[in-house]
Amino acid sequence: MPKQPIHILLADDDEDDRLFFKEAFEEIKIYTSVKIVNDGVELMNHLTQDNIQLPQILFLDLNMPRKNGIDCLLEIKRLVHLKDIAIAIYSTSSSDKDIEETFIQGANVYIKKPSDFNTLKKILEQVITVNWQYQTSGLNRDNYLLSL
Amino acid sequence: MKIQFIKSIIKSAFFLKALFVVSIFMLLYISSVSYKHTKALNESSDLLVHSYKIQYQLEHVLSMLKDAETGQRGFIITRNPVFLKPYRSVEDQIYASFIKIKALTIVDQQQQANLDSLLKLIYARLDLMELSLESIRKNTVTENQLNENLLAGKMVMDNIRTQINKMEDLEISYFNEHQKKYEREVIFSPVSTFIFAIFSLLVFILSFIKINKDLSVLRKSNTELMITNESIKHAEVIGEFYISQWNLVTGELTYSDNLYRLLGCEPQSFKPSPENFLKFVHPDDESIVREATDNIVIHGKTYPHYYRILRTGGELRYFMSTGKFISDEKSKMHIGIGKDITDYHLSNVALEERNHELEQSIKELESFNRVASHDLQEPLRKIQTFISRITDNDKVNLSEQGKEYISRIDSSAHKMRILIDDLLLFSRTNKAEKIFEKTDLNIVLENANQELAHDIEEKNAVIHSVQLPVLNVIAFQIQQLFVNLIGNALKYSKPDIAPVIKIDCEKLAARDYPDFITDKRKKYFKIAISDNGMGFDQQYAEKIFILFHRLHHTTEYVGTGIGLSICKKIAENHNGFIVAEGKPDGATFILYLPA
Repeated sequence: MPKQPIHILLADDDEDDRLFFKEAFEEIKIYTSVKIVNDGVELMNHLTQDNIQLPQILFLDLNMPRKNGIDCLLEIKRLVHLKDIAIAIYSTSSSDKDIEETFIQGANVYIKKPSDFNTLKKILEQVITVNWQYQTSGLNRDNYLLSL
Repeated sequence: MKIQFIKSIIKSAFFLKALFVVSIFMLLYISSVSYKHTKALNESSDLLVHSYKIQYQLEHVLSMLKDAETGQRGFIITRNPVFLKPYRSVEDQIYASFIKIKALTIVDQQQQANLDSLLKLIYARLDLMELSLESIRKNTVTENQLNENLLAGKMVMDNIRTQINKMEDLEISYFNEHQKKYEREVIFSPVSTFIFAIFSLLVFILSFIKINKDLSVLRKSNTELMITNESIKHAEVIGEFYISQWNLVTGELTYSDNLYRLLGCEPQSFKPSPENFLKFVHPDDESIVREATDNIVIHGKTYPHYYRILRTGGELRYFMSTGKFISDEKSKMHIGIGKDITDYHLSNVALEERNHELEQSIKELESFNRVASHDLQEPLRKIQTFISRITDNDKVNLSEQGKEYISRIDSSAHKMRILIDDLLLFSRTNKAEKIFEKTDLNIVLENANQELAHDIEEKNAVIHSVQLPVLNVIAFQIQQLFVNLIGNALKYSKPDIAPVIKIDCEKLAARDYPDFITDKRKKYFKIAISDNGMGFDQQYAEKIFILFHRLHHTTEYVGTGIGLSICKKIAENHNGFIVAEGKPDGATFILYLPA
């Protein structure tokens, strides 16, 4: 019986980051299915279609044109069928304000985009192997910001 | 002070009044005593004259009788009628004297009785004389009969003398009696009068001195008052303020001259009244002034209020007024002070504008900082990631030179990353929320050491620390400070010697404060972090805290020259100080934090 892939969705407006992301998953030896959207509006359109495969983990960039990551996060958490998706904030910023706000709004983990490809691979691997369904029960402010 | 003085004047006025009443009573007493004295003196002199008049008349009567007797004797001896001449007029004269005596003694019953007896005796004597003369004229007289007549006459004469003496004695006794009584009454008065006169003189002198003294005090305070008044007038003009005095009981209101000037009028050119003042108030601010006035009158409340004035001529001025109530049992005064604050107001407005501009430029700086640090991170991160992609995947395809260039690019990108991180940290130190909390510095130090654990291990460093206090600090900033200082000590260690870092702490006594701590009342902790590294030349002790200032060449040590600037900023955020001491065998950084 073929193993089911882990469904992953990335919303990021930056072409280079999308490339790194895609390449990283190609190199990670875990069976995944990666879907990528280019901004917040596209993300919300995608998620609200009927009969689509919902992702297990959504990687969400904060700084996006049209609709930013925070707005998307708020919207997703308001929608009953989406609110259980694990959300990893995936941002260049590591400002306390952003970290605090996304934590309060229910994001599961905060990833500061690394400047090394190998580090990126390690982080992504770590994030997708956590079983977020169990992890969410013990939300913890101290290890919210993922660091390697 | 002033009230004290007025009280003393009132007291002295009361004292003076009392003195005058006393002296008036003394004068009245002296006058009455003198009057009584004089009256008594007059009475006794009258009595004396009266008594002498009676005596004189009695003597006169006696002498008339004697004249008559002498005449009679002469006639008996010589039988010459010439001798009888006085005898003939004697009866009339005696009678005249009697009338006088009678009149003089009209109120005296006893003397009247005496006088009657005397008159009988005199008539008896005169009868005897007449009898003798008759018998001689008729030559019927005998020697014996004559002798008998003369003897009888002598006896009557003796009785007359006795009677006259008796009357004279009585008069003298009257006088003596009166004299005694007078002396009894008057003997005391001269002495007492004299004493009283002296006493009242003293009282008058005392009053004179007192009045003179009060007068000079009054004159002096009058001069002082004049000077004070003048000063206030000048002060009002210089300070652009005015004074109003409002008696809330009588309603009497006065405005100082400067109020009129501040309104652009001639002094005292209109009647002081709240309504007249309101005519100058800007229509939009009328309600403010009216309300303040009502509060004074109705609620007895006064407070500072701000309003605009339209001067005669239309110039707009900004005013501030306030006041104070002064009351005693008789009156209640409101002393008002108003000030033209136009210059102050305008400069304040200018200041606010400047402030606004400054805020604006700070915002711009912040966004610039964000661009410079945050937004620069993004492309840099990508450059680094791409470099890592090339070094991982395509290294084998690169020439040696290409590999060298790639490694140089990587090193430059790395430096740029540190620079941007430090800049971000510095700007965050500047503007982050400053939440002071009671924090155990030992825990903060432990966290800092953990942050540096990798470097500490790598360099085999040993860190000795004494017990640190619990202080009210911004915990994450102090941790950053420890990280920077210990990090520096690790970074600038001597190549062959394992770093030993010592952290000392003491509560500083005021006498040990360095010169730059000017507030000697505050308590400070002195935390010294010293190492056995390469140290630095003491002449750079201040420069090392300047942003981007570096002592070492970039190739020797990786650094941005921001770390110590951040430390300085953190110390300043805590109202503390940081100084550095450099020696060839190590550096010491001393942090002063308020307790």
